[in-house]
Parts: sequence; C-alpha cells; structure tokens
Amino acid sequence: MKGFSHFMSGVAVASFGPWAIEAALRGNPTYFILGGACGILPDTLDFKFYRFFYKHDVYVEPDPKHPDPQAVADQIARAVEMGIREHRYIKLKLSSIRLGADFWQQYLVNFDNEAGEVTVKFGSVVNTGQVPVEGTADRYPEVGRAKIGARVIQTYDAALKVDIFDGPTIGLAPRDDGDFDLEFLPWHREWSHALTMGLFLGILWALACLCFKAWDAAWQGFVTIAGCYAVHVVEDQLGHMGSNLFYPFTRKRTEGLHWMHSGDGMANFLAVWISCLLIFWNLYRLQPAMTYHFTFVHLMMVGLVIPGAIFWGLRKLLTWGDGKSQTPDAPADDADDDWNEMKASS
Amino acid sequence: MSSFFVVLASVVAGTVVSGLLACLPGLHVYNVMGALVLGILSLESSGVAIPPDVFLPAMTGMVVGWSMINTIPSVLLGTPDESALFTVLPGQKYLMSGRGYEGTMITALGSLAGAYFLVLVVAPCAPVYLPVCQQVLKGHMHWVLWIIITFMIMSEWPKGGNRGRAGWAKFYDAWKTLLAGLATFILAGLLGFILLTRSPVSHEVAFQNIMPAFVGLFAVPWCLLNIISAADVPKQRITKSLDMNGDIILRSVWSGGLGGGIAAYFPIVTGGVGGMLAGHACAQREERIFIMGQGVSKFIYYVGAFMFLFVPGLNLTRGGGAWMVKTLHTPMGMGDYYMVLGCIAISAALSYLMMSPLARGTLWLIDRINYRHASTLALGIILVMVFAVTGWIGMFIAAVATGVGLLPVLFGSRRLNCLGILLLPIACNMSGFGEVITAWMGLT
Repeated sequence: MKGFSHFMSGVAVASFGPWAIEAALRGNPTYFILGGACGILPDTLDFKFYRFFYKHDVYVEPDPKHPDPQAVADQIARAVEMGIREHRYIKLKLSSIRLGADFWQQYLVNFDNEAGEVTVKFGSVVNTGQVPVEGTADRYPEVGRAKIGARVIQTYDAALKVDIFDGPTIGLAPRDDGDFDLEFLPWHREWSHALTMGLFLGILWALACLCFKAWDAAWQGFVTIAGCYAVHVVEDQLGHMGSNLFYPFTRKRTEGLHWMHSGDGMANFLAVWISCLLIFWNLYRLQPAMTYHFTFVHLMMVGLVIPGAIFWGLRKLLTWGDGKSQTPDAPADDADDDWNEMKASS
Repeated sequence: MSSFFVVLASVVAGTVVSGLLACLPGLHVYNVMGALVLGILSLESSGVAIPPDVFLPAMTGMVVGWSMINTIPSVLLGTPDESALFTVLPGQKYLMSGRGYEGTMITALGSLAGAYFLVLVVAPCAPVYLPVCQQVLKGHMHWVLWIIITFMIMSEWPKGGNRGRAGWAKFYDAWKTLLAGLATFILAGLLGFILLTRSPVSHEVAFQNIMPAFVGLFAVPWCLLNIISAADVPKQRITKSLDMNGDIILRSVWSGGLGGGIAAYFPIVTGGVGGMLAGHACAQREERIFIMGQGVSKFIYYVGAFMFLFVPGLNLTRGGGAWMVKTLHTPMGMGDYYMVLGCIAISAALSYLMMSPLARGTLWLIDRINYRHASTLALGIILVMVFAVTGWIGMFIAAVATGVGLLPVLFGSRRLNCLGILLLPIACNMSGFGEVITAWMGLT
C-alpha cells in the first residue's frame, strides 16, 4: 500500500488506545504521532536507511560522458555468470545516469530467454519528472547484447527501466534447474517488514520510559508501537509480495494473499477512508458531553456504504459502454509500486 | 432592480474582476478582498452602507473565480501560490511538451468538478453532518496538525546516493536532501514564530502579515529558477478535446475532495497540504487524475472553507476570505446559505468559460516574448505587489523568506517544507508550548 494509507492505518490503530485520546484531549499528541510514524516506519527503514548499506556483488555504473550499452550488457552477463559459477544469490545494482541538475539518461534492460541474451538499449534523456527531452530518443540507436548461460525468469512485470534518482537492485536467485529467478529490490520487505521488529521497537520504547519511571507510558507506548507497526506488515501481506513476518526466526518472505496490488487506487483510498471513519468513531466514543448520538452502524452507513453505493452507481453510469476509456491502474508488482511511489513522492 | 439581478450582477462582476486579476502572478485574491473590506468599512463610517446582497455575491465570485483561474499563472508562468504548488511540476511538464493549454484546462476541469461536488454533494449534507463532526473533532485539532507535520517530514524520500558502493558516504549523500528539507521546515517555522508573535508589518495591513513571507517562500524561488534555467518553451498546441471520461473525473474528485476537504476544514492546514494529501490519498499512476485532483483540491480548499461560514448551525470560520466577510456581516440562516451556493455555481460556470480565452491569451503572450522575460516580468509584478501592500518591511520579509525558499531549490528537497512557517508555530501554540519557544527566542 501507499505510504499515506499505512500512515493513516497507524493513526487509526493508535486511536483504539483510550490513553491516546485522553492524552490528546490534554494537548499531548505523542501517541497519535507514534501511531502514524510506526505505520509508515517499515518502508522508511528500507528506503531511507537500509538500501544505502545493502552490499551488491556487481555494480553497473555507466559512464555519463560515454554511455555504452554494450558495457552495461556485459556487466549484467558477468553477474549471471558469477551466479552460475558460484551457484549463489547474486545482488546486482543498476545505477542511474545523471547528466545534469535535472536530466537523466534512461536505459532499459531486457532478459531475452529465447535468444539466451540480455539486451540493453539507451532511451531518451528524461527530466526529473520522467518527461523525455525532445530529440534525444535516438541518440544511441545501438543495442548492447551479451549472451547469458542461464535463463533469468521474471515472475512479474517489474519495469527494468533505469532513469531518475536511484537505480534498482536486482537479485538473481538460483533455482534447482540451473536457471535464476529475478527478484526486484531484494532489500525491500526483508527484516524491516516483520511483526517481531515492531515488538522489538516497542520494547526499546518501554525500556527508555522505564528509565524515567514512566510506567504507564512504557506499556501504552509498547502497545501503540507494536500495533501500528504490525498493521503495516498485515496490510502488505494482503498484496502479492508478502513480508518476512517473523525475522530473525524466518529468513524468507511469506507470500502475500494476492488480494490486491499495493498501487491499487481503490484499495488505498478505502484504507485511508475507513481509517478516518474508525478514528472518528473512537474520538466520538470518548468525547465528553456529546449532544449528538449515533451508532457504529449508522456511521458506517452514512460514511461508507451509502456514499460507496452512490459512487459505484455513478461510475457505472458515467462509463456505460465506455469500457476502453476506463483507466485501470497498471498492474505491477508490489515492490515496483513501492519503488515508483518513492520516486514519484520525491 | 430586484435583488435577484443585484446578486447576479455582483457575482458576475466579482468573478470577472478576480478572474482577470488571477492572471497576474503573485497577486492573491485575499489582498484584493482585504482592500475591498477596508473600502466598505470606510464607506460605512462615512454613512454609505453597502448591502450584503452586493458584497457577499461579489466576494463569493472573487474567491471562486480566483481559485479556478489562478491555475493559469501557476501552470503557464510557474508562479504558484502555495495551494497550487503541486500543479507546477506536472503543469510545466505539459508546457514543455507543447501541451500547456491542455494542462491548464484539465486543472480547471478539476475545479469545475469540485464545484459540482461542493454544491450538489457537500452542501446538502453539511448542515446535518458538519456540526456533528465539529463537536467530535473540536478538541483534537492540534494533533491533526502534528500528524500532518509528521507525514510531511516522513514521506519525503532521499534523492541522492545514486552511485557508489554501499556505506556511510552513500547514506550521507542521500540524506543531504532530507536534512535540507528539515532545515527548511525548522527555519520557516522560526520565521513563522516571529511573524505571528511580533510581526514587523504595520498594523494597518496586519491581515497581510504573512503575505510577503508566502511570496518569498513559494513564488519568488520559482521565478528565479525559471529565469536562471528556463529552456525555450516549444510551440503550444490548442487541443479540442481533453480526452477525459467519467472514471477519471470521479477518481479526481475522490482524491481531491479528501485532500481539499481536510485542508478546508482543519485550521492552518493549507491548500498545499491538501494537494499533497490529494496526491497521496489514492495510488494514481494516471497523470491526468493527479492534475485534475489538484484542481479539485484547490477549489474545495478555497471555496469550501469560504462556504463553511454560511453553513447553518456550524459556526465555523476557515480561510482568509471567510474571516474578512465576517468583519462585515454575520451569516444568517438558510437564506444566506442558498444565496452563496447559487453564487458558487454561477461563478464556477463563468470562471470555466473564462479559462479558455485567458489561457490562450497567456500562451499567446508566452509565444511572443521569451519565457525568461515572462518570468522576469512576473517577478517584477510580484515584488511591486509586495511593496505596494506592505512597504519596505514587507520586502525585507520577502527577502528573508526567499532565502529559506531557495533551500529546497538548491538541495532538491520538497518545497512544501516551507509550510513550516504556519504549521510549526500554530501546532506548538495549540499544544500549549508555543510560548516556551517564543520566550526562548526572546519574542515574549
């Protein structure tokens, strides 16, 4: 899911703690801040910290002054050969090519298993908004080709297009049949996306509070942190990629439930909106001296079911017989979605 | 003349005037409304009373017209006010690919969709449900500001660290932009403490006291960047169709409505924050939805906040426009509410009709003069406006704010961090420790 959805889910979970609302009514926003921050923290750990310390076996760093697609293809083929020779997991970094303050040279990598080769084609120069600069598309017409000794199987449609900001990491995982599975962003959703990590951070908080003899803050903060961190992991588990749920007791990601993609517009909006409604309900429950009264069912009907039905009907009406013009979100892998979101948010 | 025609004439006049003024970069509608309020008050003191049937529709028209048509300088001249911050980059993307007109009109279409949403969906529900929301949320405004601040800071991702071996050097390279973003937020916040506690701006124009800072933080850096780095603008195409469908419009309304609604309802949460939330509320890869959502968000932020003043039983004043109207008139019941809703509908329709000729005119101008010169002219107009309203002290504030506003430009961090100017001092004040900071700064 997108960062904002995780963030709001975290705030919603925090609002279930009566202590959070009581503290807020006294002017203390700590638990809600903790909730939102822990809701987004797993991605923060990956994208703001871990990826800069993640060691790679092969770094592909094209020369911005003399971009050579053949050299890039050769480097990628070398990584595959290294995997075959040493029969181990290879981590390959495809670095971006910055040409100026706002310009980047785009290149595309394709594993052609039919021909048994990897191809690299330099595309347009793009600006930081990923808009191609006119007249740059055919500056490098040649295609770099290098033979690879094994098939590299891409199980989902992650874009191996390198352009702005940081380039992607590719993991080449050896299979029993001698081929490799391609993993996009292997550093993502590793140890950071574990339920145990939330417990660990909660314990750290509690210990810090205990140093100041703040008993209540210790257990209340622990519950808030562990709960809000967990909701991120659980939400990600609804997608395809899954998470490494019990690191360090588990070493691999548990595959997700495939209910949605992390970039689905409707799923993200629903997560945000339902979080808002739950926060509202929790605030209402503990609000002193209310003159208005309503039930949870009433709130959900007015806030979710009726508007949702109207929206659904309106959408059907406005797109009646207009199937082609609907704009579904492009299907992509969760890691690809998270990666693109990070770049777009920047 | 019957009061219907008085109202109609006033709303049309207000819309046309603000629509034309909106094309001038740097001039905010609240500056003009402020001058209008002073004029009406001085007329009243000399015995000439202007009836509400005249100034309410005119002011409604001004807010509606400006909130839609100020897309033109934001997208085509790159001189946004804070609420249009997120339209600039995609807008300039359209401009540089010869589709500036299309980008402008898509944003305007978003504003029109926002008008439909406001008048047909929000307005009938508002008198029933908003007072309930107000009762539940009134004690919780401060932490909403804090979580917005938290999200703003946490959702900015590093941009450096693109090459080289893993390790601390790479980490530091990546974090330079984030540290610059944090520094921008804190410096803007400190400037905000000064301006909100002991503003050096003359008390006669006290309602404009933040204006020079906003100009310095947001508009001037864009102009300077355009002057220094602007490429030649390619020949612009005028499209006959925007290639929109109901699906795109609905998705834009749901994302922009949420972002703009939060910005309109919660105090100090501005249109820029609304735009950010609109962009994040749904995962939208479709660029047209993003741009259109920004149009919806901006409209809901300005016009929705203005409308809340008139919602019977709500008693909520949000936004500069509403505060200015409140100095002249206390809204009374459904009569005023329906009149304002009618004015919003008429004004939104008229503004949308004005968009196309005004956008074409601006493109014609850009086509004939160098884009750098257009940006220089825009900068000149902005500075004249600041000087005319706030004098040399305002120019000084704008200069200081420009220094802060240039930090994101130089380091590539997020410009929204400049909103620390309002968010930080107000959040601290609402949580009860603002005075500790102002005392530490020697302001109180």
